[in-house]
Amino acid sequence: MRKGAEAERTLKLARKHAALEDAQRFAALAVTYCTPECREAVTLAVCELGENLIKYSGNQDELHAGTIGVSCDGDSVRVRAINQVTSVEDAQRVRELVEKITRSGVAVRDLYRARLQQLFDNPNAPRTQLGLLRMAFEGGFRLSCSFDHSELQIVAERTCAGAS
Amino acid sequence: MGMKLGEKVAVESLELELKAPTELKLAGTLSTPTAQAEFRRLLQDLHSDIVAARTASFAVDVQALSFVNSSAIRAFVDWISRAAHAGYTLAFKTSASVTWHRLSFSVLKSLAPATVEIVESRPSVAGGGHPS
Repeated sequence: MRKGAEAERTLKLARKHAALEDAQRFAALAVTYCTPECREAVTLAVCELGENLIKYSGNQDELHAGTIGVSCDGDSVRVRAINQVTSVEDAQRVRELVEKITRSGVAVRDLYRARLQQLFDNPNAPRTQLGLLRMAFEGGFRLSCSFDHSELQIVAERTCAGAS
Repeated sequence: MGMKLGEKVAVESLELELKAPTELKLAGTLSTPTAQAEFRRLLQDLHSDIVAARTASFAVDVQALSFVNSSAIRAFVDWISRAAHAGYTLAFKTSASVTWHRLSFSVLKSLAPATVEIVESRPSVAGGGHPS
């Protein structure tokens, strides 16, 4: 068992075909000592944030889409995604969704269901936009978001008994 | 033309098998854009086959499907929507020990309660419980 803060492990997500498989392996290695439930949650967070980075972040000509970090501190685990933003509107939309999820508290299931209902009613909706909702609902993460100087940072934290 | 009976189709780390004319088994993980696109195409073909065969109920065993990204959840939403319009039911066989099965399939069922059935398996506990 380990105690105290652990250095953050980071992955610079390359814009390549196998990037999300790399992210999945990275997540599994970063929390090998956590509980199965926590490992599942971290894999979910890393893959969802990684997919968002690949799809929406920065200049598509850049080699890397952004950085994902995983760290443990006592009995909590944190996943962090940082990327350069090209669309301020997209970044603002992410910030609003994170605030909405944070305000919803235990009613995050209702938000998730409402989004699934929208997709059910409108199969041609261009964006799925389920990743952050799944992280909060399925993964049990508390989300926060900051946006400064064209850099967007999303932080997801949750408790994990196996991390302490 | 969709999947053939008994044939296993591997799409990267995802495996699909039509176990019976009315049962699809999914295993592995689904996270890449290539796998997502192929998965969606296979489900669309399967839906056409189900409608053509006038199947009333179709089973989807996801117990060994350990991880999917949001695009796969959306593919399930689309399939449930098509099934509801076509008038057949989908019975998802899930595992209680997988968090995303336990949480997301109950929400998916709430979208179309008359179309979706959840058959949840619980892991057997050997030895009668946890040590104190």
